[in-house]
Amino acid sequence: MTHDAKPPAQPEAPLEPGQYGQFLKEHGIATTRLADSCGIETIAIQAEHLPSALKLLRNSQEVKLDLLITVSGVDNNETFDSVYHLWSYSHNNELVLKVMIKKTDVPEGKLPMVPSISNFWSAANWHERETYDLVGIRYSGHPYLRRILNPWDWEGHPLRRDYKQPVDGLNDKNPHSFR
Amino acid sequence: MSEGNLIKVGSPYVPDELKDTVTLTSLDHAIDALGELLSPVISPVANLARSNSVWPLTFGTSCCAIEMMCVGMSAFDISRFGSEVFRATPRQADMILTAGTITRKMAPALITLYEQMPEPKYVIAMGACTITGGMFNDSYSVVQGVDRIIPVDVYLPGCPPRPEAILDALLKLQQKIRTENYHERKKRTYNQRAVRYVDYDTGKLVDDLVEEARQEADAVLAGGATIALKSEEKQAEASEKKD
Amino acid sequence: MATELQNVDLKTDEMIINMGPQHPATHGVLRLILTLDGEMVRHVEPILGHLHRAQEWQGQNRTWFQYQALIDRVDYLSGMFTSWAMARSCEQLDGITVPRRAEYLRVLVSEMNRITSHLLWLGTYLIDLGAMFGFPFYPFREREKLLDLLEEIAGQRMMFNYIRIGGVQRDPKADWFQRVKKFTDEFPQRIDEYEAIVTENPIFLKRTKGVGILKQSVAKDYGVTGPCIRCSGIPLDLRRTKPYSVFPELKFDVITYDKEGDTWDRYMARILEMRQSNEIIKQCLDMMPEGEIMAKKQMAGMRIKAGEGFAAVESPRGILGCYVTSTGGEKPFRFRWRNPSFCNLSVLSELLVDSPIADIMAIFGSIDVILPDVDR
Repeated sequence: MTHDAKPPAQPEAPLEPGQYGQFLKEHGIATTRLADSCGIETIAIQAEHLPSALKLLRNSQEVKLDLLITVSGVDNNETFDSVYHLWSYSHNNELVLKVMIKKTDVPEGKLPMVPSISNFWSAANWHERETYDLVGIRYSGHPYLRRILNPWDWEGHPLRRDYKQPVDGLNDKNPHSFR
Repeated sequence: MSEGNLIKVGSPYVPDELKDTVTLTSLDHAIDALGELLSPVISPVANLARSNSVWPLTFGTSCCAIEMMCVGMSAFDISRFGSEVFRATPRQADMILTAGTITRKMAPALITLYEQMPEPKYVIAMGACTITGGMFNDSYSVVQGVDRIIPVDVYLPGCPPRPEAILDALLKLQQKIRTENYHERKKRTYNQRAVRYVDYDTGKLVDDLVEEARQEADAVLAGGATIALKSEEKQAEASEKKD
Repeated sequence: MATELQNVDLKTDEMIINMGPQHPATHGVLRLILTLDGEMVRHVEPILGHLHRAQEWQGQNRTWFQYQALIDRVDYLSGMFTSWAMARSCEQLDGITVPRRAEYLRVLVSEMNRITSHLLWLGTYLIDLGAMFGFPFYPFREREKLLDLLEEIAGQRMMFNYIRIGGVQRDPKADWFQRVKKFTDEFPQRIDEYEAIVTENPIFLKRTKGVGILKQSVAKDYGVTGPCIRCSGIPLDLRRTKPYSVFPELKFDVITYDKEGDTWDRYMARILEMRQSNEIIKQCLDMMPEGEIMAKKQMAGMRIKAGEGFAAVESPRGILGCYVTSTGGEKPFRFRWRNPSFCNLSVLSELLVDSPIADIMAIFGSIDVILPDVDR
């Protein structure tokens, strides 16, 4: 288990906003720029600004980021991240948006909340269900937030760092096994 | 749980005054006994016929399903070994070739399919995933070997096994069918069912209750013990308590 | 009397039917819960997860070198593409340059893999539509020839494990290239054979023309990629829009239909893609440079530099990518797959509404979904 693995370190000083950070700042949404992921601009945004930011990025004519590649959930050791990769069908634009929720901000026994975008962007529907299932980020306003890959009565979120597998007759160690 | 119990007792006793109106109900048991008597003669012929027409079920979960499809196509033709058609419904299939990983979500479906198949049925566990969990041996959602949920006849390793390997497994299964005694198989496989029905009121297995009833019936037919009715027992207990 | 009966209002009810995980259309284990009004589908809910094998979890618990061998199973019909997506993302993070000969070999084998994937799609699609005994033998005949060629260099018929981080695994001998050339010379005639049976077939036309029209706005909303979006008028082909590897040097067109595509258009697009892949293979064989096949990267105990990145390839089903986060350790920190089938399948709930039951398999087959790609 990679309990001791740390996420990659972020740069010390705050970076200048890039093209999309500037665009969002003009429309009144504050963002922080993170280290580029292999040359692609990566920005972090507050959870409550997320739906309006995505609507702006999708509908504006010069920044037409209308292909939602994926919504992933990452359990960094201090934060839960909901990562949105955005591409464009018609232009060559790429952007990575992150919503980082500190684990200390999450009350005990509850799940981190991020507003859902699947009401206006249907591509995110199943991706958000999958992130809820595997990492445990709750998307508020999702029309059908139910486990999608694991059985509906599964307990726990498997891709978290502190997940312990339940061991029963179906996956206990075979006594004749070499491992 | 075999029908052999009732055979040993003999035919049920029919009183003389009822002989006109009562038909012998143990006819099929008699035929069964005859079959068991003649099975050393019939079995080799019947088994040869059965082994050369094993029809698999189209059960392809994942990667091994592609090799199963390839084995049904013209390059590695499986129909020359008798598996002419792959049946889509388990009710008409002889063999289930579990091609692909079985996850926890899929396990009830597989058990249902296996239960729906009529006897005699065979299972070839194909691929590493179904033998022992394969490369997913520490995964949280994969059943570590399909023999934890259904009984397996032939294990076929490979990831995925080549179509020639599937044919080899089929030939081994045919060899197994040819050398088995069908009546012994009936007795043995009945005990290996995955699902046991439980009586709602008493909480005991239905098989055990049926076994108890059969033993009481045997004892009565053999002459001697009388069946004690439960209500009489309770009255006896109640009268004892009063005393 | 007859007119009185016609005006009677029948009380009808909707029926909920389960198309269970095991059905003879061997696309894997997908469960569809259909709400039917007579023969028309009103609502469909796909239930996934019957093949969830925890491959992303495996990505966190296997070393980089071990995980390379295991990911062919993520999309088993296009194993080369999954290996390539992983290799690209790791090379991007680590700054590895892949030698040119390795790039050409990667393009060559992956286009061969594209042909095998489309051939299998064609065979199973016709089985779904009812041509049970007869047609699938033709595409599988070609598929066997290609798999024999790929087995010679990769060692396996389906789980190739050939494209590695830094290059490819093995350098084929000279006569292998000649045999591939011979295959490419014969292949167009074979596609003509398939087209002669299928394309103008009145039964096929009845079942696929006008069925399952995917509107452009719906497709964009659902994030559809691959032949499905190209048949709805949007020319998104990663090999041309964000070119990677040696695709800028190769000549090929993006196959797009300028209208709202129906099932027949998606079928035709895949046939044309097979012909196009044949041409790409011929070009690769002519332009193959000499040189190394693997970058200088230590294999055992491999580590990738810290950082995160996303890289994608154009697989037969769409954009297949992986988002990798690395801490510089010997295991990845997070490995997230972006599978085209997962995203394309979500559009099924829009496509199937108000179509009769008989069209379900025609539409579902034409999206070309592979289940481990959906469930991982």
